[in-house]
Amino acid sequence: MTTDVNYHPAAELLEAFAQGTLSTGLSVALSAHIELCASCREESRRLESTSALAWSQAPAQERNEDVTEDFSALIASIVKQPQLKELSSEQFSVDKIHMLEHSVTLPRALAKVASEGLVWKKLAGGINQAQVTLDDETQCEFIYMKPGSQVPVHKHQGNEITLVLDGSFSDELGHYQAADFVVRNQAHLHRPASEEGCLCFAVLDGPLAFTKGLARLFNPINRYRFRRATSQ
Amino acid sequence: MQNMSTALGGFNVGRLANSKPQRTPGRASQAVIGDLADSDEKLLIAVGNRQDTQAFNVLFSRFATRIYAMGMKLTRNEQLSHDLVQEAMLTVWQKAPLYDLDRGNAQSWIFTLTRNRCFDMLRKIKRQPSCVSADDIWPQDGDGEHHLVHEEQGSLEVEVALIERHYTSLPAPQQAVIEQIYMLDRTHEEAAAELMIPLGTLKSRLRLGVGKLKQLIGIEK
Repeated sequence: MTTDVNYHPAAELLEAFAQGTLSTGLSVALSAHIELCASCREESRRLESTSALAWSQAPAQERNEDVTEDFSALIASIVKQPQLKELSSEQFSVDKIHMLEHSVTLPRALAKVASEGLVWKKLAGGINQAQVTLDDETQCEFIYMKPGSQVPVHKHQGNEITLVLDGSFSDELGHYQAADFVVRNQAHLHRPASEEGCLCFAVLDGPLAFTKGLARLFNPINRYRFRRATSQ
Repeated sequence: MQNMSTALGGFNVGRLANSKPQRTPGRASQAVIGDLADSDEKLLIAVGNRQDTQAFNVLFSRFATRIYAMGMKLTRNEQLSHDLVQEAMLTVWQKAPLYDLDRGNAQSWIFTLTRNRCFDMLRKIKRQPSCVSADDIWPQDGDGEHHLVHEEQGSLEVEVALIERHYTSLPAPQQAVIEQIYMLDRTHEEAAAELMIPLGTLKSRLRLGVGKLKQLIGIEK
């Protein structure tokens, strides 16, 4: 486990994750970070139990006509079902990604995502990209930057979350290593480069990526879908 | 951890497993349960250990409205929320034998289980790819450790005398479990009933206790 993580998701993101209100793409990125980061793991457990407490103490919602509903038939059918004695311990077919000489063990959620098979595309500047579709609100991709590679300057439309899985990269604002959770939005002029090579998982959100309450975490999002305007 | 314990009404949610700091033995969980006549935990234990349908009825009436409310918050759809009540309570029934007291209280357990069912339900309805499920995104501690559960009754390959000499250095809750299974030769079900703990808790304490015992006795490879 990585102990020295410098960039973490905001508290509100962790809370939304615990409550299950994030898109699948973002949830996968959060899950992977939490598996790699002890402090966020601790924090998300805490948020899970405070969310559970708030949930169980909330005043009963209006249930309209349902209040009088008779559940006895439903209950009777449920208790006829067999119970589980053991969790099915499914095996994952892929938990490592091989990139050139590297072989990287992935966090569980990402291992599941990658187990479907990744199709890598070569982009300019020594960048390889494998897109995965997790939902219709985000665009997700594994990105592998070869040693010495540099992404052309670009500006984000919407937000981009980058989780470093192996190696490191830098941009104008910092240097990022394994487990770092980096958030960039359209205000940033972005020019990532990697000296030693870097494998990342990136989530780009479209205009609808966040539930209402969460959207205020980020700058207003352009009505733009999944395009990074690239200029040389 | 401090905060979490408070939030959970004093339950010890830490486990003894590998390398986590601030882990304290699962002290006095039984006492806590004993004090709360009809606590959610007690009902859940009855459902998991004895297939107690009356206890399940009470849990259903306590949680159906809350589950429905979470469904409305996450789906904004009455029919889906209704389905969620059914799905989540079915999962409560099915997984009750796996509930582990040492990892959190009943409401946390039902909360996360409901959240996960809802997440998967929504993904299905939105026809999102099924490569990843809620249980991958929020894995339980110890998922995947389960094949390590010491299933065979009384098969610890050392004499009882050797166990007796060492087992007193284990935390009390683990001692109690080892005693039931290896000395009194009880089944898991009998031991869980005797100790008034969930089967899931019994198994995880047994796993931790046996692991430690093996280390102490020095037969761990």
